Order: sequence, then structure tokens, then C-alpha cells
Amino acid sequence: MSSKLKRYEKIEFLGEGQFATVYKARDVKTEAIVAVKKIKLGSRVDAQDGINRTALREIKILQELDHKNLMGLLDVFGHMSNVSLVFDFMDTDLEVIIKDNTIILTTANIKSYIIQTLQGLEYLHMNWILHRDLKPNNLLVNSNGVLKIGDFGLAKLYGSPNRLNTHQVVTRWYRAPELLFGAKQYSVCIDMWAVGCILAELLLRLPFLPGESDLDQLTRIFQVFGNPTEENWPGLKMLSDYIEFKPFAPVPLKHIFTAAGDDLLDVISGLLVLNPLERTNCTETLQKSFFSNKPAPTYGPKLPLPQNIRKLKDLEKPSLKRKLLESAEGGTLSKRLLF
Amino acid sequence: MAGNFWQSSHHQQWLLDKQDLIRERQHDLNILNEEEYQKIFIFFSSVIQTLGEQLKLRQQVIATATVYFKRFYARNSLKCIDPLLLAPTCLFLASKVEEFGVISNSRLITTCQTVVKNKFSYAYSQEFPYRTNHILECEFYLLENLDCCLIVYQPYRPLLQLIQDMGHEEQLLTLAWRIVNDSLRTDVCLLYPPYQIAIGSLQVACVVLQKDHKAWFAELNVDIEKIQEIARYIINLFELWKQYDEKKEIRELLTKMPKPKPAPQR
Repeated sequence: MSSKLKRYEKIEFLGEGQFATVYKARDVKTEAIVAVKKIKLGSRVDAQDGINRTALREIKILQELDHKNLMGLLDVFGHMSNVSLVFDFMDTDLEVIIKDNTIILTTANIKSYIIQTLQGLEYLHMNWILHRDLKPNNLLVNSNGVLKIGDFGLAKLYGSPNRLNTHQVVTRWYRAPELLFGAKQYSVCIDMWAVGCILAELLLRLPFLPGESDLDQLTRIFQVFGNPTEENWPGLKMLSDYIEFKPFAPVPLKHIFTAAGDDLLDVISGLLVLNPLERTNCTETLQKSFFSNKPAPTYGPKLPLPQNIRKLKDLEKPSLKRKLLESAEGGTLSKRLLF
Repeated sequence: MAGNFWQSSHHQQWLLDKQDLIRERQHDLNILNEEEYQKIFIFFSSVIQTLGEQLKLRQQVIATATVYFKRFYARNSLKCIDPLLLAPTCLFLASKVEEFGVISNSRLITTCQTVVKNKFSYAYSQEFPYRTNHILECEFYLLENLDCCLIVYQPYRPLLQLIQDMGHEEQLLTLAWRIVNDSLRTDVCLLYPPYQIAIGSLQVACVVLQKDHKAWFAELNVDIEKIQEIARYIINLFELWKQYDEKKEIRELLTKMPKPKPAPQR
């Protein structure tokens, strides 16, 4: 046990969430760079509960999964209620990429990110697992342009018809309307709504529906999509927290996403449907023409990276010595022309 | 339940080979003979079952805890951890994994104390010696020894499907269900996938109730040899039970059992 504590050498602090602190570390045994997620020690009372539930959920689910677009759990170490999980190291995440205004996100780039998200999520849903906390910050990207869905702390097995779930899941801006109305039985549709919001955010470069409270969130949703009715969403009024809102008229998506083509708008309008049962699932979404139309999704290593990572990557690029060697051996034609 | 059994850690990592199992147990089998070893595991399965029932846990949680218990000792000697400590720890971990309500640690300890005193006084003359911090320490050790594989598939769900396909028979379901519970006292959960255990238990139930479903069994696309092996394990268990009085023998077996050193401090 103690040997494992020494196996991972801390390099730097990466970030802090509600439940955990994340460090970049070096695996002394394999020399690999990894991310160590140290679960925060809760109160004394929490410590009595032993291994943290959130961590346990993540361990149990990730141990059963293996997909290139899902974060891989490499190791677990710790002592009593003090748990650390070891993951693949990822350079950045979609939130950073979206906020970095030196990055231009082309349709091809967006297509690549969304395809990877949908493929990871499709695999997850096929395994009867809901992620329940999709947001740009949880979509991690490495310097090869591989996107992996991370943070399974809220993920849950679904499908048992008589089990009730909490509706207090998903960060508010990405929370589906049925959750905001208090639905306790839900399915893949809540993740699909979040994907719709993320896609919208990739286009707008700003959160699409940044509600300040749960009620404000619903208001913002209805301001875009109009109010739901028993006709377009049967059973709506039976949801426990249902309330009437003042009437809003729907806005055509074309007016919001002015730069998006019809095929892309078709994807968004399949995902962001008020009635959860009418939302497209991952498989259906991936079959939409947007994903087979031109432009082709950007090849991973060609995807844009935030400035600080770009610099690092340049540093790792062929050193001067190698360049000189190359030119001595003849090098490429273009280089000759430069000299 | 989670998705795909064939890709699960249960199928890929935790269906063990009988020869490997025997080899791993070699240390304990130098001290106990095979029957004594089995009797000890029957006893602790009952401890887990009784504790689970007292804590009002669902059978699914109890079954998962029992499998954790067996998986742990499939790789470790009995002297690594006192099974009387591992048993409640398995329930503690399983109840969190299966997400059926919380058992607080203090409630767990209190329940252990009363159960040991009231139901297993024939085995233990002293009171339950462990405290919260023992359970917490043991929990991590358990997680590690399970290789973090926490999702366990149980035969209950396939059993329900099979019975439905057969044409639902209440009596048969009740008995087969109980036989699946009994199968937790054998090694089958370490050796065979749950759907085969369900079929094996169903077959034994048909024999006991003298129901003729030969035609139905003949149409199943399964390795019938494996089913027979499972049925054999279960029948052997029943035969062992017939000529065994746990209340009389268990104390001596527990004394003989390899133990961790030193004994836990209060």
C-alpha cells in the first residue's frame, strides 16, 4: 500500500472540484504522465462512511468499461477513507478550448469533438450507464486531439423500472427540462439534452442557456423553444415540480446559430427537444447527414489546442540538433529553399 | 444491472479455474481438510446472510457481499484477515456499491454485536471484537484484493427469465430461488457464470419437486456438462448438511482455523 503512495510523483496541481483535487504526476514505474484524483476527505462523519461513495461509483463503473472516448482508470490507491484514483493524463478540456479566443473552431473541428463525445456516450448508454453530469469541463482532450468523457462521480446504472433517481443531477446550464420539473424517472435523454447544450456552446463560444436559478433556467429554455404543452409533451403536468410559465414564442434555431448549416441545425433540433421521449439518442444522432456530409471531421492531431499546450508541444518538437542533422542529411526540399 | 456480462470484469477476471482455486488454497488446506474448509465457509455465509437480514438489506446486496467474501479468500489465506471482520466489511462495501441505502458504521457494529451474541453464541463465547476503524481499514484492503472489480452479476435475474419462459410456476420459482441462495455456500459463484448457476439451481429444483421439464431443458443451448457440475456442487452441499451439526462442530473448526497474528487490539 505505502509503496503505491511513492509510485506516483506529484508534478503539479491541476485543479480542484467539489469532491476532489487533481494533480499531474509521474508514474515512477512506467515513466508515464498520469492524473491523480485525490478524493477530498469529508467531515469526520463522512470519514465514518469509509471509501467515499462518489469515488466508489467511479471505480465500479470505470472498471467495467473500455472505450477510447472514455477516461481509463489506471489504478486506485490510498488508505481507509483517503482514496486516490489514477487516470490517463489529459492536456485540456472543452471548456478551456471554448473559452480560448485564440482558437478558431471550424465546423470540421466541432464535428470531430461531437462525434467523439457521441461515440463514448453511445458505448456508455449501451452499457446501461447514464453519465448525468455532461458539460464541456468534463470532456477532456489530449494533445493528440482525442476526447474522453470524464468524471463518473454521478454516473449511474439505469433501467430498473421501479427505482427512483434524484433529479438533482447535471450542472444547471446543461440540465434537461424534465429534471428541472422534478422528474425522478429518466433515461439517456438527460445526457442527450446536455450534448445539445454543449454543441450549441461550441458554436456560440458562450454557454447557451446560462440560467441563474432553476426557474431562470426553465425561463431561458422556454424563451428559445416556446412553452411545452400536454400536446407536444404528454404527461408534462404530472411531473412533481411542474409549474406554468408565462407564454413564450419559439425562436427559430437558424436565428440563434446563424453560421450553422441546415445539417448541423438538424442535429441540434434533434437533441434539444423539450419532450424527452422525442430527443434523438446517440446512435440516431450519429446517423444524421451532418456527420457524413463535408467537411470531414478534423483529424485528431490537427485539432486546435490552447496556447500554453501548443507551446509545450512545440518544445517537444524536433530539437535544433535534430534539425541540423536532418539538413546535413539532405533534409526536405522546402528547407533547402529556405536556407 | 449494467450492460454486458461478457465484457464485464466478472466474466473476464473473476471466473476462476478449479485447479487455480485448489492451488491458492493450498496453505489453508494443509491445516484444514477440504470438508472442514467448506464448513467454515458455510458458517460465514450464514453470518453474512443473518447480518444482512438484520440490517434489512436486499438479497442482491447480501449475495454480492458473499461473493466478495469468497473472492477475497480465493486469493488469500484465512490467516490474512479474520473472516469475522471481513464478513461485515463485505456487507458494508456491497451496500454502497449496490446503492440500496446507507448502513452507518455504528449501526453495522451494533448489529454485529447483537447477532454474534444472540445467534452465533454457539460459535463465539466472546463478544464481537471489532470497531469502526477495523472495518474501514479492512474495506480498502478488500477493494484492493478485488482488483477494484465491484459489479457482480447474480443468478436471480436469469432465473426469473428462465422460469417465465418455462411457463411461470410459483412453487418452482420459490424453491429454485432458495437453491440459488444455497449455492452461495459452495464455490459455484467463483467458477461458473450466473446464468449457468440459475439453470443448475432450476434443474435441482425440478428434481426435488419431481417436475418433468426434460423437453424444456433439452432445448436450452448450454453446456449441459457444466450444468451437471453445478448441480453436483449443490447436491453435495445438501448431503453435507444432512450429516453435519454446525452447532456442535463449528467451535472446534474455528479454533483450528488459521488466524492472523497478533489478535486485534480493542
